[in-house]
Amino acid sequence: MGAIFEERREEKDKDMSETLQNLFRLLFWILIFPGFLFTACFGLIASWIVRKVSALVQWRVGPPFFQPFYDVIKLMGKETLIPQEAQRTVFMGAPLVGLAGVLLLSTMLWRITIDQTAFVGDIIVAIYLMTLPSLALIFGSSASASPHAAVGTGREMKLVMSYELPLVLAFIVVIIKTGGQLSLAAIAQQTPALSISGMLAFLITLLCIQAKLGFVPFDIAEAETELGSGVLMEYSGALLAVWKVTQAMMLVALPLFLVMVFLGGFGTSLWTGLLTGVGKYVLIVVLLILIKNTNPRVRIDQAMKFFWFYCGIALAVAIILALVGNTYGIGWL
Amino acid sequence: MSWKIWSLKKSPWVFHVNTGACNNCDIEIVNLLTPKFDVERFGIKLVGSPRHADALLVTGVVTRQAAPRLQEVYRQTPKPCVVFCIGACACHTGIFRGAYHVVGPVDKIIKEIDPNAIIAYVPGCPPKPEAVISGVVKALSTL
Amino acid sequence: MNQEELNNKLAEIKDKLIDIEQKANNRIYLLCEAENSYAVNKFLFEDVPLRFVITTGIDSDDCFEILYHYAYDQTGCMVTLKAFIRDREKPAIESITPFLPAAEWIEREIHDTLGIDFKNHPNLRRLILADDWPEGVYPLRKEVKR
Repeated sequence: MGAIFEERREEKDKDMSETLQNLFRLLFWILIFPGFLFTACFGLIASWIVRKVSALVQWRVGPPFFQPFYDVIKLMGKETLIPQEAQRTVFMGAPLVGLAGVLLLSTMLWRITIDQTAFVGDIIVAIYLMTLPSLALIFGSSASASPHAAVGTGREMKLVMSYELPLVLAFIVVIIKTGGQLSLAAIAQQTPALSISGMLAFLITLLCIQAKLGFVPFDIAEAETELGSGVLMEYSGALLAVWKVTQAMMLVALPLFLVMVFLGGFGTSLWTGLLTGVGKYVLIVVLLILIKNTNPRVRIDQAMKFFWFYCGIALAVAIILALVGNTYGIGWL
Repeated sequence: MSWKIWSLKKSPWVFHVNTGACNNCDIEIVNLLTPKFDVERFGIKLVGSPRHADALLVTGVVTRQAAPRLQEVYRQTPKPCVVFCIGACACHTGIFRGAYHVVGPVDKIIKEIDPNAIIAYVPGCPPKPEAVISGVVKALSTL
Repeated sequence: MNQEELNNKLAEIKDKLIDIEQKANNRIYLLCEAENSYAVNKFLFEDVPLRFVITTGIDSDDCFEILYHYAYDQTGCMVTLKAFIRDREKPAIESITPFLPAAEWIEREIHDTLGIDFKNHPNLRRLILADDWPEGVYPLRKEVKR
């Protein structure tokens, strides 16, 4: 009898230590690698690359390497001012919600790349997590009780409504082309961009990513010269640092998502996969920088017309081509 | 030197305030922020809101109407922050001394609400952009 | 019109003026009293016609002077109408805004700084003085010390 009790206690101990081990492993993934620490550092380095390449394109020198880190450290050291009439909980909670969204997205994508630990429907989870930072921005700025932020909020809402539709349609094109699978690991094996409909969807998604990251020509919400810094106007100190880190982390997660969905992911072997994957990531970031530096800012009504009318029609054509290609087995359509 | 001041010196974000200037100094400040002088090397960036700023570039002799507004902008800048008086008018009222609408140079107005404010002076009418860069770098190196 | 024809045209309204002074070839001063200024301005703006430039106000020791500056672009001639306001207690003059809407703000500025009342002005509110500036203190008058 005593032996059975001993066995049961050993099992319980083993269960406990296993769950504890799982918990530690999960925390490690989320907080250190490939989670918060890794993505934040990678994102700040990527934002330095954006600023440096923009500077070189404009024939100037540009910031030193650690500049984004200095920016974040400096913002943590300033006092945080909250407007008297702002809604405090939402004002302080919105940046954290945005950070959590992009953190989970980045962790998930890197885990799928490294370990192939995907699950069915994870592309839908990824699309949902991608909208969280934009929604958090809208909530945070509307809790600011400032007229400039209110105008910025309205524009950001319209912008989000504009580019979400082409984004989802483009992913539908990809899902059709890869045979109806909803799992990122399976989609990342193929390269849908090497076909007409896939290339169309890729280019339109690139522009939607440009809007989501808040880059010119779609940085309407944070239009500095027009709105006195728009949506983030009332944020200062540590909360602003959270927003800046969130934007930097989006610079990691979103091109990575594009690489996995359209360009065939990181591949399975270690060193060649890493090199080609990083190469594809750099290609997308360079495209973003070039579009950013050669275009003026558009008005919100121009942006809406562009995304709904032109991109919508182009994607409708792409979906039809993809369906035709799928049914008749023509690969390049 | 604490890490806050060290990081402030590495990445000073500027906000431009005009308290009744003739606009010459404002034009020179806008010239300063063009790619020709490339102040992004020093981490300097123009921000659109005083809540994001570390340094206020104040131009103009402070008129009676602008004085409470300048104080409000200073209050909304998170400390630690530096106030730069750009131009002769901001340093000591310049040619407008004794006029009916002048309530005093910038440091008098700022010290009314914060006697420990950090204020730096860049004289000139208007100061060249090189002079403003030199003033900013010198002021930050003494912090 | 060349300069001579302009001089002849300006002489048509001589009965409302005190004097016409020609300081240089392209600089003409017309002097009149405040009561006639509306009619002369209307003549200069509509009948000659000249381009309105600006209005200035001067505090001379015994009177106020309002100067209306006009330009004749064909010859580069500047024509200035000097209107004398003799009453220093309650200086008043007719506003030219009814036929010249562009003069609205400059007359508000003269009212703020010199205290001259413009009759028939559609919107004689404070323009350039600070919100907390005391009423009745006109800073550009000679007696106001700093």
